[in-house]
Amino acid sequence: MTMIEVAEVLKAEVLVKGEGVHKAIRHVVASDLMSDVLLVDEEDMLLLTSLASDQVLRTAQIVGAVGVVVVNGKPLPSSMVNVANDLHMSLATCKVSKYDACVAVHAALNPA
Amino acid sequence: MTLQGLMEACGLEGVLVEDGCVDVTGVYTSDLLSDVMAHCPDGAVLVTVQNHTNTVAVCTLVGAPAILIVHGRAIPDEMLAAARREKIALLRTRDDQFAASCKLGRVLGLG
Amino acid sequence: MSTAPQTTAAPETKPDADAGSEPLVLLELIQRLKVRDVMTSQLTTVPRSSTMRQVQELMRQKKISGVPVEEDGRFFGLVSIDDIIRALGGGYISDPCSRHMTTKLVVLEDDMPLSFALRYFDRYHYGRFPVLNRDQRLVGIICQRDINRALLVELTHELNRLENVKVHAVDKEGNYSIYVLREFPICKYDFENAGKAANQIKQVLQEKKFPPKVIRRIAVAAYELEINLCVHSDGGVLSWLISNGRAEIVARDAGPGIEDVVWACQDGTSTANEWIRSLGFGAGMGLANVKRVSDEFEITSKKGSGTTVKSVIYVDVPAGT
Repeated sequence: MTMIEVAEVLKAEVLVKGEGVHKAIRHVVASDLMSDVLLVDEEDMLLLTSLASDQVLRTAQIVGAVGVVVVNGKPLPSSMVNVANDLHMSLATCKVSKYDACVAVHAALNPA
Repeated sequence: MTLQGLMEACGLEGVLVEDGCVDVTGVYTSDLLSDVMAHCPDGAVLVTVQNHTNTVAVCTLVGAPAILIVHGRAIPDEMLAAARREKIALLRTRDDQFAASCKLGRVLGLG
Repeated sequence: MSTAPQTTAAPETKPDADAGSEPLVLLELIQRLKVRDVMTSQLTTVPRSSTMRQVQELMRQKKISGVPVEEDGRFFGLVSIDDIIRALGGGYISDPCSRHMTTKLVVLEDDMPLSFALRYFDRYHYGRFPVLNRDQRLVGIICQRDINRALLVELTHELNRLENVKVHAVDKEGNYSIYVLREFPICKYDFENAGKAANQIKQVLQEKKFPPKVIRRIAVAAYELEINLCVHSDGGVLSWLISNGRAEIVARDAGPGIEDVVWACQDGTSTANEWIRSLGFGAGMGLANVKRVSDEFEITSKKGSGTTVKSVIYVDVPAGT
C-alpha cells in the first residue's frame, strides 16, 4: 500500500508528493516523540503523528520514512510544506484522530 | 466494554487497576499532552508512551479512566502514586502505539 | 513588441545516479552552494530602448559577453555576442535591442544548488544563464568563470581546514584520504534549523551511495547530536568527517556541561523542560541512541564548561569514490 492509497483511505489531503509517494509502506509508526521515531529501525515506514512541526519531516528523512500524515485536522505551519519539498518527503493531513487513522490503515493493510 | 474485558481481549498488563468494571467507551492515541487535553473524549483509554505524572493529571481533566503505556515502558513511582490518588487505571503493553491501537480497534471499533 | 521572455526554469530533477566520481568534498560543496552564492550580481544591463550598437559598446568596455535587458528588475531578454555579430552582418546594429534580443531562455533560480546549475551548463552549452529570484526578478548572471572562481575559493578554505584536522587512521603506506569534512554551527533553541545539518549529511551519503544501513546510523547519530546541541547546550558545532573507513560525528559545545555523564547516557533520562517536550524533543533517548548506533562512542563533559560527544561508525567507502 502506498502513501497515495493511505490518503484515500483516510480522506487525507496530500500537500507534498515526495520521492517515496509510490513506494510500498512496510511499517507504520504512530508516535509524537521524535526520539521514539529515531529508535525505529524499519525502512519504508509511514509516520502518523499529531505533531505539526518541521522536525517531524526532518526526523522522517533521517529514518527514511515514506511519508508523514498529520492527524486531527491540525493546521500546519507554512514552513512545513517548504521543508517537505526540500527533503522530497510526502506530507498529508487528515481530519480523523490518530487512533482512527491507525485502525483504518491497519484494516486497509490487512483486508479480511 | 469494561476495563477488565478490554484487558483480557487485548492481552494488556494491569499495572494499577482498582476497578475493573469501569466502562471504556473509546480510545485516544497521542503523546502530546496538549493534544490530549484538546481532543481526548470522555471515557477513553489513552494510549501513550508518556510515562509520567503529568499524563495522569491530564487524564483527570479530560475524564479518561485509563492510561495504556506502550513500548513496555517502566512506570515511575510518582506516576503510580498519582494514578492511585486520581483513580486512573494504569495498563501496559510491549506493543508500540500503532500495534496497540490496532488491537484495541479490533475490539472497540472506530471512535 | 515587448513580451515577457519565454523562460524555462531549469526543472528540479534528482541528480543522476552516476553523478561522476567527484570526491565527496566537491560534491558536498556543489550541493551546499546555491546559485546566488556564486553568481555575479553587479550587473550591467540595458533597457529595451538601447540600440544593439550601444550594447556592443558596453560589451567592449566592460569585457562581458552577455547583457541582460531589464527595467526595474523586470527581465525581458538577453543580448549575446552572437546576437551582435548577426546584427553587424545583417545591417541592423542600430535597431533597439528589444527587437533582436534572445527571449527563449533558460534561466536559473537563485536558491538552486550549484549542482543543478552545472548540469545545465553541460546540457545547454550556453555561456551564461540569467538568474531570477522567486518573484521572477533578475538578480544576477552566472557563467562558467563565476563557478570556477567560487569553487577555487571554497576548496582553498576546505583545504585549510583539513590541514588543521588531526586524522586518526593512516593506511599502511602512510597515506590518508579524507572524503568529507564539514562543520555546522548550531544555535541554542534554533528550532527552525534543528536537524537541517543531519538532513544534509544524509543527502550527501545517499548521493555517494553508501549502504543504507550505514547511512541510517550516521544520520541518526548526527541528528541526535545536532538536536542535543540545539536543545541542551548554549550552542556549539557539529562536525563530521569520513576518513579511512571511519565516519566521525562530533558535537562540541561550550556549556552548560553535564554533571553526570553516565546518567545522561541512559535511556529515558532527560533534563528537558515542558516546552521542549511539547516540540517533540526531550524524551531522553538522545545520547543513548547515539551510543546504540555507534561503533565507538566518547563523551567528555564538565558541569560549568563544555561537552564533546564523538560518535564513530565504521564505513566501507563505496567503490568508485
